[in-house]
Amino acid sequence: MDFAGHQLCINDLTVTLGDGERRFTLRSGQWSIKGGEVIGLTGQSGTGKTLLLEILGLLRAPGGGSYYSQQPDETHHFDRYWSGAQARALCASARARFFGFVPQSGGLLPFLTIAGNVALSQEIAGRIDPDWRDHLLYHLGLEKSAHLYPGALSIGQRQRVSIARALAHKPFCIIADEPTAALDPENAHAAMQLLIDAAHEGGAATVISSHDYPALAQFPMRRMGLEITSAPQDNHVVSELRPLADQVVLKGTR
Amino acid sequence: MFLIAKLALKDLTFQKVHLICNVAVLAGVLVPLLVLFGVKNGVYDALIGQLLSNPRSLQIDTSGNTEFLAADADEVRGWAETGFVTLKTRSQFDFVNVRRKDGRQKRDAILIPSGLGDPNLPEGLALGDGQAVISASLAEQLDIAQGDMIDIITQAEDRPRQLLVSLKVVTVLPVERSSGRSVLADIAVLDLVEAFYDAYALPEYGITQGKPLSQRAASFEGLRVYANDLTQLANLQTRLEKRFGVRTEARTADVQGVLNLGRNLNLALLLTATVASLGLAAALIFGFWGEVERKRHVLASLALMGLGGNRLWLFPVIQALISAVLAILVSFALLWIASGVAEQIFDTGLATQGGLVRVSMGQAVIVSVVVFVFVGLSSLFAARSALRIDPATVLREAAT
Ligand SMILES: Nc1ncnc2c1ncn2[C@@H]1O[C@H](COP(=O)(O)OP(=O)(O)O)[C@@H](O)[C@H]1O
Ligand SMILES: [Mg+2]
Repeated sequence: MDFAGHQLCINDLTVTLGDGERRFTLRSGQWSIKGGEVIGLTGQSGTGKTLLLEILGLLRAPGGGSYYSQQPDETHHFDRYWSGAQARALCASARARFFGFVPQSGGLLPFLTIAGNVALSQEIAGRIDPDWRDHLLYHLGLEKSAHLYPGALSIGQRQRVSIARALAHKPFCIIADEPTAALDPENAHAAMQLLIDAAHEGGAATVISSHDYPALAQFPMRRMGLEITSAPQDNHVVSELRPLADQVVLKGTR
Repeated sequence: MFLIAKLALKDLTFQKVHLICNVAVLAGVLVPLLVLFGVKNGVYDALIGQLLSNPRSLQIDTSGNTEFLAADADEVRGWAETGFVTLKTRSQFDFVNVRRKDGRQKRDAILIPSGLGDPNLPEGLALGDGQAVISASLAEQLDIAQGDMIDIITQAEDRPRQLLVSLKVVTVLPVERSSGRSVLADIAVLDLVEAFYDAYALPEYGITQGKPLSQRAASFEGLRVYANDLTQLANLQTRLEKRFGVRTEARTADVQGVLNLGRNLNLALLLTATVASLGLAAALIFGFWGEVERKRHVLASLALMGLGGNRLWLFPVIQALISAVLAILVSFALLWIASGVAEQIFDTGLATQGGLVRVSMGQAVIVSVVVFVFVGLSSLFAARSALRIDPATVLREAAT
């Protein structure tokens, strides 16, 4: 995979939920992520990590700001996808092409085998590549379970399948929302390592969220944090995304 | 689209219990309805068949003494309800003697007016001048075959000579289409016999004594009319009675009885089917809907990966339609078995005519299409629900 010169640009995306009594506003700030780069997205529960990933993954329309994918030869204005009548279909096909998702818990299809689950994202994206699928299964230690159904696997194994599925169609961006939250420390560490290795080897831009900062801090990556900036008594909660300098945060947690 | 169908099928066969459940619910309603429908058809067809096998069921005869002219017959012939109409002569002259040309044996037989369109005759057969059709028993007793010539012999007490008319037998009616000894011929033959009785001279037949035929006014004593089909019988009878101010005789009561029975059976079946399909619709709508709710995570997962864009609603619809096809196949298989069993239990003797439980190919196709569409429509709520599933649920709701 060659994603050289390919990046996602986020310019002051905002979204506001709720109305009247209680409102929640998320502000993304201005940043971008290149191929091969890993961003650890942290922040306490309720600060809007999932919300931000939904916007990045074309699952929710932003209220304002711009968001686009920049390649040497073409630019896709994702924020504009939401305005047309075909928004749903447009976003769906862009998700299939550009994104791979690793949810907190698998989200695997119970009626497909492990190999079938992994192959499915290739089929949806129209990038069928059995060799790459087998390579991923082998690399993630799943080749012996390829013929099994997800129900027969442990949670740690399922999460590995989920990672394989997110990588199978060679998307530019991997979005992992709390991918380790349901795992025991050992499996959590392994899964995180897999995602980071994949990003470094495969060149996909990777955003991993976790409310557990120490878990993220064990790995070398660029970190960003969501923080409530509104006053505690304020009915309008505002959460802002900011880059975190390693040493500052390390001091805060250790 | 193809991928959605493939996944829908895989999901369906993975969760066989749900498929079986849906098929069972559908077949559970469909099979009893089909059996009822089949039995209704079988019984009704048998009764109608019995009526139709006898042209008497379509026949209307005027009774009493009223004069009819050839023009009256022509008028009735023009009516839409009329299948065949013939004039009748006075009934006491209907009996004649018959023998094969140059044969020695003679038999008395009844002479019946007939012609093209008479349901007693084979379809399309016209009776021309000098032609006749005879019943099976007459043919057998006098050893007459198709193509033979026969002599119709009449004598009257007051006439010195007998009347002899030669006719060619164009057809012998089969046993089940005829009763007794009878000769079917054009009304002209009967009219001739009547003229003979009325003492007119018929020089063409060697009878020179008597009144000149030119003095005779051609008038007839009655009409015999056959209705186009059973449903027209009552109408035609009423119309005849009104038009000519006569009383008539027909098997209207029997025919109407069977027709009413058919109508009532249809009505009862329609009511049953309506009630059953209301219940079925409720079961299916909520069943399919519940399925989608239960599979929210699966559908959300597919949507998350970008499957189908805004066509994910096809997933539950395709599953519903596959269930429908299976249910239709199972239902007709069970119907087939049920009709076999019914045939064994009730020795109806209808087996040769198509069985007690009868569903025609056309009816089966219509039922299948109706069920298919019905199930498809029932799955639309589920489709709407599937379309509304937010793919982000996979991120938000940690489960599975
Ligand atoms: N309809 C709503 N009205 C107001 N606030 C909402 C609404 N829906 C979600 N929120 C708020 O948005 C925030 C989003 O949280 P989420 O993205 O799930 O955070 P995280 O993933 O970091 O836990 C939460 O604080 C929640 O209270
Ligand atoms: Mg979250």
